[in-house]
Formats: sequence, structure tokens, C-alpha cells
Amino acid sequence: MNFLNNIKVVSLRELRLMRQRPVYLLASVGVMAFCMIFFLTFLKDGTPHDLPVGIVDMDNSSLSRNFIRQMEATKLMETTGFDSYTSAREALQTGEITSFCVIPENFYSDVLSYRQPVLTFYVNNLYFVGGALSYKELLTLANLSSGAVQREVLRAKGLDEETVMGLIQPIVIDAHNIGNPSGDYRVFLSSALIPGVLETIVILLTVYAIGSELKHGTSRHLLEKAGGSMTAAMIGKLLPYTVLFTLMGIICNFIMYGWMGFPMAGSVWNLCLGTFILVLASEAVAFFIIGTLPVLRLAISISALYSMLAFSLAGFSLPVESMSAWIQGLASAFPLRHYYLMYVSEAFYAGGFSGWYMQAVFMLLFLFLPPLVYKRLRKAYVNLNFPRK
Amino acid sequence: MKKAIIYIGQWFSDWYFIFARELKHIFRDSGVLIIFFLACLAYPVLYGLIYSNGILENMPVAVVDNSGSSASRRFIRKLDATREIEISRTCRNMDEAEKLMQKREVHGIVMIPSDFGANLETGRQGTVSTYADMSSFIYYKNLTMGVNMVMLDEMDRSSGPIKYEDNIPYNRAFSYGVFFLSAILLIIIQQTMFFGISMMSGTMREENRSYAILPERLDGRGISRTVLGRGAAYWLLYVGIGVYVLSIAPKLIGMPQNCPFGDIFILLMFFVSACVVFSFTFSVFIRHRETVFVIFLLMSVVCLFLTGFSWPSGSFPKFWEAVSWIFPSTFAVRAFMNMNTAGAGLSMAEPQIAALTIQIIAYYILACLEVFIDNVRRTRRERGIPAVSIPPCPPCLPTGEKPR
Repeated sequence: MNFLNNIKVVSLRELRLMRQRPVYLLASVGVMAFCMIFFLTFLKDGTPHDLPVGIVDMDNSSLSRNFIRQMEATKLMETTGFDSYTSAREALQTGEITSFCVIPENFYSDVLSYRQPVLTFYVNNLYFVGGALSYKELLTLANLSSGAVQREVLRAKGLDEETVMGLIQPIVIDAHNIGNPSGDYRVFLSSALIPGVLETIVILLTVYAIGSELKHGTSRHLLEKAGGSMTAAMIGKLLPYTVLFTLMGIICNFIMYGWMGFPMAGSVWNLCLGTFILVLASEAVAFFIIGTLPVLRLAISISALYSMLAFSLAGFSLPVESMSAWIQGLASAFPLRHYYLMYVSEAFYAGGFSGWYMQAVFMLLFLFLPPLVYKRLRKAYVNLNFPRK
Repeated sequence: MKKAIIYIGQWFSDWYFIFARELKHIFRDSGVLIIFFLACLAYPVLYGLIYSNGILENMPVAVVDNSGSSASRRFIRKLDATREIEISRTCRNMDEAEKLMQKREVHGIVMIPSDFGANLETGRQGTVSTYADMSSFIYYKNLTMGVNMVMLDEMDRSSGPIKYEDNIPYNRAFSYGVFFLSAILLIIIQQTMFFGISMMSGTMREENRSYAILPERLDGRGISRTVLGRGAAYWLLYVGIGVYVLSIAPKLIGMPQNCPFGDIFILLMFFVSACVVFSFTFSVFIRHRETVFVIFLLMSVVCLFLTGFSWPSGSFPKFWEAVSWIFPSTFAVRAFMNMNTAGAGLSMAEPQIAALTIQIIAYYILACLEVFIDNVRRTRRERGIPAVSIPPCPPCLPTGEKPR
């Protein structure tokens, strides 16, 4: 009973601290709100539009103009004319256009006389999504216009529509996207980035909260309040944050999967359970860092270096399989990696408990980290024997 | 004339004093050293190792062949031969394949319906259904590209009225590493410098000193030597670090380098100068040294997206486009990508260099203004207390140098 009371006293003290120092709320709620607004409005179109594509039209015939009109008609591309290959190539090199297409001289007359003119594309692949999408679209357009000419010819020979299509394009692809039907780039990114943001906030703020007591030399006061129990002090201290972080995570989940309508095959509540476990695991990592290095200034630098890596190693941008074996192992040292796998299982396949329990277990394994450094941190709290400045 | 020489001599001596003092502070601060040296030395190599491959080859895909015809077998064989896809499993039905995808043993399913072979034989169109794992853009891209290539291959392009030819001069393999590394290297420079400078000014605040100490006997003047003196310390460190990050590290991690070192170096000088004054301008908001991380760490991710390395900058909403102009990284990353990977010369990076120059001038003025305001406040608050004692300069310093 006394223990619970100690926890309560410490928690109340922590709440008072949070009220007095605006940095706590700014760094949690403020940063989260900013990141949510940024990622959800920055990518609000889901797929890019009006990608600048250059055209070098050496033919200037009705057919080439028709080809350009078709390009303009797509939502994805917007064309700019260039006089020569050189000027278009310069624009490509400076990233002004994502790709360009050269229509050769005598294009129209060559088509008419069946001399098979060649359209040439140049794609700048340095800008990831823009390059990939305009490449795909140009290929499709070239095939379509080639097919359109061919269709006229075959129709004139008196073949029926079905046979014509079978000759022009024997195989059609019927594509289904599991987990993100429209290929919305916002879903690709936000659903993994936002938990990453949460993980980062949790790690930084936990280190900051525990380390500040050391820095300001108030740790003895804290222990006194906790009746001399380090366990009560730590539980009481982290309790308000755990509640705050979990609430933030749950609100973000409901904004994304409820209000914004991100695809969710399973239950949002299962995902929220995952968010809670992610918060616990991240707090454990933070505890480990500050416990190993009980100097706030160093611990916070190390936490910053650690948490930035999580974004790369979670595997939602470049899949982890393409990395070397030891880096794949390293990726498991980040709670975000397990959360991401759990999210895929729940949101894509409605995997339920049987689908993701292993990931939950992996995240819970992080809770074994704090006991390793518990004694060391208590000593630091009692003796205040580490450099503060 | 003599007065001018004395002034210049005095100016340089003050400048040097501030410059040396700042360097001393930096090297005494282990937290800042971790950020400046550990982060800048380790991160490029670490990211290089993570993205060394940068592409996913032979992604495992399951196939459900309900047709069992020679046409379907040929299609599957061709799929397996692509670089993107490897047919790792053959399933009897969709249920089985879906289970494999759930277990992440495959990242795509190709289903060939039973009428496929018959359709092709009778000259009608055959349909192939694909199911892509959308948990990463790369899985989606691999399946789509692989299947589309086989589909186009089956079209017998030689007989079409129009042929086409594609050229992908830079980053032929769509390597994720090439996009990402070009952007992250410059972000590392900018962000570590910002965090380091903010930590320094936060520490000074905590110790009740100011980042804006002026030589006291100048009576409120001498702002430029304070800003330039402190700036030179970071500038010097970062030109060194920057050469490592932009030139040596890319060599270590095997990134393409298609630009002469001289051009990269000139870009680096502009970028580092912009970063120094940018960091000075924004570090005034930091009151305690650690708060810079808890509040601004995630800005690194935001800056990364604002460079347009992934989402095309033409599709930015207007507001965020304007926000992106705040950061030097936005322009420097674009110039660096064009120069280092696409082999554009320095002259083609003119618009970005111009933007960086505008930032340098604007942030320099802001940084000076902040020093001025801070001093006015301080003198009001603690009138009569000397801020710092600077050794007096001998009246005649043999120096003929002119300020640059």
C-alpha cells in the first residue's frame, strides 16, 4: 500500500514538472502534432501529378502532336517543349524535368510507310517516385500509340475487335494491391513513419526526464518522495509519460485509420495494443541508454543517433532483405521493426493475435533491458557521482 | 590611414580571440564532439552499409498456375528470369499462396487463370492476375516492373509500327541507395551542425553566459567580428568534415561520383557557410542544451522529405514548398544530386548556388541582429557588469591585410 502511495506521490510530482516546464508537452504533443500535419498534408494527393516531362519534337506532324496531347491528357504528366536534345538533356541533368522523349524526324511518314520509327526516352532516376512513375507512364503511352496505329491497320483488314486486341496485346495484367489498393504513397509512408516518430519521441523524452534529475541534482529529492524506493520512483516517474504517449499513439491511429480512411483489414484496437507495447519497449530502450550512461548530455546524443537509424532499419523504405546479414540482425534491435511487421499483419491481412504474437513478444523482450542497468542508475541517483556539466 | 590600419588590426585580433575561444569551447564539450565527429564519421559509412545494395533482387513470388499450358509455363519461366522476381513457390490454389504472403515468405502472387492457354491459342487476350504486397513501395515496384516486362516481351515488339528505346542514364538499376545517400549526406552535415551549435548556445545560456558576447570596450559595437569569429570556428571544422562526408565517404561506400572534386568543394563552401548562419539564427530559441534534441531531432526527417529526393518537388503543396526554402539542405541536396550523380557541372547548379547565397546573406543579417538584440537586453539587465575581458590590443599591429 505504501509502495502504491509512493508511486502516486512521484507521479504527481512529475505532473507538476510537466506543467512547469513547457518543453515536456512541446516535445511530445507539439512535435507529434507537427509531424502528423506535415506527413498527412505534404503527401495529401497520394500520387504525384503534373510531373514535368520534356518533349523534343523533330517531326512536328499531326501524329506527333497527337502523341503530345495524349501525354498532356494524363493526370501524371505535364509536357514542356524543347528545341534540341542538348537543351532537354541539360534540363534532365538539373532535375527540371523527370524525363524526356525524342520524336524523330519523319516520324509520321515512317509510320505510314511502315519503316518503324523509334521513339527515344530518357529518364532521370535520381528522384525516386517521380522517375519511377514517369518511366512507367511513358512505356505505357508508347505501347498504346503503337497499338492504336496497329489497330487501325488491322481493322482496315477487316478483323474483329477481339482478334485485333489479341494480336496487339496478347497478355493483359489485372493488378491487385494488397493492403493499399490505390498505391497511395501517403499510406506507404505515414503508416510506418508516424509510429517511428512516436518511438523517437518516447526514447528522447524518457531519457530527458530521467536524466534531468541527474543534471539538476534533484534525484535525491525524487528518491525521498518515493520513500527511498528506486522502483517506486521509476514507475511513478514513467507512468504519466506512458499514459501520455499511449494516448497520443491511439489518437494518431484513429486519425489515420478512422478519419483519413487508411486501409485497415483488421481491428484498430489490436493496432493500439501494438502501439502500447511499442511505447513500453521504447521506454525500456531509453532506460537502458540513460542507465548505461548516466550523463544527460551524452545519453541524449546517443539516443538521437540511435533513434534516427530506426527509420532506415524498420524496412518500410528499402526492405531489410536487401541488406547484408548482420544489418538484418541489427534491425531487430529496434522496436519499430517489430511494430512495422505487426502493423502489416494486422492492417493488411487481419492477422489477429495468431498473426502477430511473435512480434509482440519480441517487443516485450526489450523490457529485460532496464533490469540490467537498474543498479547502476540507482547508484547514480543516490551518489550523483557522474559529471553533470 | 593609420587609424584604418589600427582598426583593421584590432578587428582581426578580436576576431581571432573569439574564433580561438569558440574552438576551445567546442573541443571541451564531449556531447558536441560526439555529434560533430562520431555522427559525421560513422553515419555516412553506416548508411552506406545499410544501402550498399540498394535494390531488392529476386524477390520471392508465389505462382498459382491454373492453366498448366505451355503458354503459362513460358510466362512463368520468363518471370523467373527477370532480375526483379524469383518464383520461389508454386501453389495449388490462392489460399495457399495468400498464407505464404501473410507469413512474408513471398511478396507477390501471380495467378494464371485456367482459360489462359486456350485464349492465347485462339488469338484472344489472356489475363494474368497479380497481387502485390504493398507493405513497401519496392515490393510493389518489383512485381509491377517484372510482370510488365514479360508482358511487353510477349507483345512481339518487332512487328509494331512504332518502336521505342529507353535510356536511363543515371541510376540505371533504380537503386534506393543512390537517391537516399545523396540526400542524407548533406542532411547529416546540416543537422549535426545545427544540433552542435544549439547545444553550445544552450550551454552558454545555462551558465548564464551569452553566445553573443561582444568585446566590452567596444561598447556595443563589433557585432560582425563576434558572428564571423564564432562562425569561422564551425566553418573551418565543417569544411574538413564536409570533405570527408561528400568526397571520401562516398568513395568508401562505393557511391557513384561523376563530378570533379573542385566543383563539389565549391558547393560545399557555400553550403557550409549557409549552414553556419542558419544554425546561428535558429539556435537562439534553445534555452537548455538538451532541449534541441527533444524538440528538433525529428526536423531532420522533415528536412529530408523537403529536399524532394523521394516525393517530387513539383508536387509539393505550396505551403511546404515555401517552408522548404528555409533550409539550406533543400537547395544543396538538389545541386549535389545533379552534380555528383548526373554529372552536371557547377555552372548548371547556378540557381541552387544563388539560393544558398541569398540564404547566407539573409541569415547573416538575422544572426547579427540577434547578437545586437541580446546585447541590448543584457546591458539593460546587468548594467555595469563586464561581460568578458578581452586582452587589450597593442595599438600598432603589423598587418596589411584587408577584411574580406
